[in-house]
Amino acid sequence: MSLVSSPLAPVRPDFLTRVTPVARLASGLAWLVASVVTLDPVVPIRLAIAAVIALVLWSGLPLRRIPGRMAPLGFAILSLTVFSILLSGANADRSVAAMLEFGPVRITPAAVSAGLAVGLRIVVIGLTTILVFGPSDPTRMADSLVQQWRIPDRFAYGTLGALRVAPFMAEDWTLVAAARRLRGIRSRGVAGRIRDAGDRLVVILVAAIRRAERLALAMDARGFDGGIRRSHFRELRVGWRDWLTIAAALAVAVAALMLPR
Amino acid sequence: MRPPETNPPETRPNGPPSIEAAGLGWRYAGRPTPALQDLTFRLEPGRVLLVLGPSGSGKSTLARALVGLVPHTLAGEWQGSLRVGELDVAATPARFLGERVGLVFQDPDSQLVMARVDDEVAFGLENRGRARTEMEAAVPEALRQVGLAGFEPRATNTLSGGEKQRLAIAGVLVARPSVLVFDEPTANLDPPGMYETLERIAELARRRGHTIVLIEHRLEAALPLADDVLLLDDAGRQIAFAPAGSVGRETAALLEASGAWVPRAWQGAEMGGITVPAEMAGAAQPGKGWGPRPEPGRVLLRATDAVVDYPADQSGKRRALDGLSLEAHSGERIGVVGPNGAGKSTLLFVLAGLRRPTGGSVGIGRIGADGEPAEDLRDPSRLRPDEIASRIGLVFQDPELGFVARSARGEVAATDLAARSRHRGGDDRPADADGVLGRFGLGHLAAQDPFRLSQGEQRRLSLAALVLRPPAVLLLDEPTFGLDRRGTVSVMGLLDEMRATGQAQILATHDPRLLPGCDRVVALDRGRVVFDGPPEEFLAAPPYAPAGPWRAGTAPAVAVR
Repeated sequence: MSLVSSPLAPVRPDFLTRVTPVARLASGLAWLVASVVTLDPVVPIRLAIAAVIALVLWSGLPLRRIPGRMAPLGFAILSLTVFSILLSGANADRSVAAMLEFGPVRITPAAVSAGLAVGLRIVVIGLTTILVFGPSDPTRMADSLVQQWRIPDRFAYGTLGALRVAPFMAEDWTLVAAARRLRGIRSRGVAGRIRDAGDRLVVILVAAIRRAERLALAMDARGFDGGIRRSHFRELRVGWRDWLTIAAALAVAVAALMLPR
Repeated sequence: MRPPETNPPETRPNGPPSIEAAGLGWRYAGRPTPALQDLTFRLEPGRVLLVLGPSGSGKSTLARALVGLVPHTLAGEWQGSLRVGELDVAATPARFLGERVGLVFQDPDSQLVMARVDDEVAFGLENRGRARTEMEAAVPEALRQVGLAGFEPRATNTLSGGEKQRLAIAGVLVARPSVLVFDEPTANLDPPGMYETLERIAELARRRGHTIVLIEHRLEAALPLADDVLLLDDAGRQIAFAPAGSVGRETAALLEASGAWVPRAWQGAEMGGITVPAEMAGAAQPGKGWGPRPEPGRVLLRATDAVVDYPADQSGKRRALDGLSLEAHSGERIGVVGPNGAGKSTLLFVLAGLRRPTGGSVGIGRIGADGEPAEDLRDPSRLRPDEIASRIGLVFQDPELGFVARSARGEVAATDLAARSRHRGGDDRPADADGVLGRFGLGHLAAQDPFRLSQGEQRRLSLAALVLRPPAVLLLDEPTFGLDRRGTVSVMGLLDEMRATGQAQILATHDPRLLPGCDRVVALDRGRVVFDGPPEEFLAAPPYAPAGPWRAGTAPAVAVR
């Protein structure tokens, strides 16, 4: 959740906040594609640098909160990098000198490069997600998808409703854990823990479904999905900023791929 | 494909419409008994109707029928007729009814859709395909009507409960309905939120621009707004429909017998300026508790200068508890009150050991093997898992979140089973889960899934689960939330029984009706104790503004007529 903009976060108006969400989405997709088509770490490094520059200069997001938003990915980045290095097939190549060798573990420069490439790609994915979703709230994204990509209302605003329920699920999860601790219920072993997590999940899903039902009723009571063509309070037009953003993102992606390594 | 657009019938000839029910009944699909049976009344245009009845009397179903969710969105079996002005509800598509009738629900957090205030208000207009120019004029006007002018760019999740509920009202008003239906609009709000929301409703009532149907359990505040009352019993049948001022003692007695709260003006004893059900009033003296209770004895809970800081966020570092000290003795029940954000939840979490205070200390006693409370104060956040259950119990506002088993019997036995599995052989007390269920009025439900019980049954089960291994300190968050008078009396009676063993109980609540049943009231504001004393003293002069709803009846601004 934390990669997606929290509506709590005050965003100061800036270039990217005026770009329609779908234009940001298209630009972000270009970068994601560019970062996964090669296996070396150079392209993701270039894209990561470009992403940081865009975040600093045009996103309107307070920079001190970027590390916090990346934090959930931190574990994935770290563990995937380490394991990719350790388990890389390149380590088995005896013709290359090892950088490091202890016992059965042998690490070659090629393995390090491949591992970094994996980790850096996730960094790019994280930063790009922030660039795409950070500068405006989820409502804008839904508006934009409906108005510009003709996504059906029921899907887009239904998803928006689901996003509203999500934070409550996180809260419920901690309450359920607390209740079990206080009741002295403890799971033993891996199987016990899995069963325990399953039980807790059932409880929060029941609560989430009840909440979602209430929200759906409230939406229907206000005429949602009443068979009338919806109008839009906030009109989103594709303008020069949007085309400029997409063109620039494409140029950066191509440059990252083509420039000499 | 969308059906072709059709124009709604002329809905607003002149002024608000009447509401007329004739033999109205409804049974939800899959339920054995009807939610509403044989309602027959006529509410004249522009009048305010207050609907009273116990849990399960079909109040919410009536609200849903007025806006067309019943029978058009929800499945079930319809009987009789309901008319809003010239529109026949069963024969009118929900969206035409929606043009006319606006419904405000109970929980502000599950009726707001959008992330921004102005988008939220516009939502209902977008759904009806209104032009942008019309919306641009209507949105600020609707916000102004509920006192939220200038809130347009705010994020909805930064609003207080009262602000959210006023926003929900704006989202309904913006479509210019001529009938307004409020389904327990203040039930989830703290006292300031309740006050500001009721004040808006009162203003709408005073303007006479709408026919209003109000379902509200804060009777003393709501009754002065009502022209007429509709009384329902626990089977969804009509007890009476009458002008609010002409409800006789016998009619009120029927309502009382159904388990509902009854306005003080009609019946019931007075205590500290608060409506108290007759059963409660008979058993208790103000400040002395209700049942027999052991002499206040050993200290079972001691918090000393507890400080809790939440990590810095956008609004900076937040101090949730600011040097709070509190002591509770065995057999003592303390009511903890205060507006949202005053620190009540944080206090419960700290006392339960789920959050370690940033500063100060907390100690919790235990019930010894002999069943007697023992002082032996320990830091709850450092207890071993097998030591916790004998010291601390916590019941959430939503009892479902605390359930750990798949049957009521399993729920009652769970804590005891967990304890036994750790002390093999050392414990041979008989664990009579079925006996406990019987005492809690749940004997016939022993094999039921806890999630399928009614609200009141779930509440009683959450307490029954704490009986076989009673904790020394029982923490309760709104233990009577959503219950009618009968349910409240039942829960409070069970709490009395549990307290008779010497348990200390900390009861956090927004409901002033529970306070006369407490030995002490502790009021919090911004993380500090601002009042600590007997309930009658608190109820006479609550320390924070607006004082209205805590007092007898309500503040003058709310009492219109």
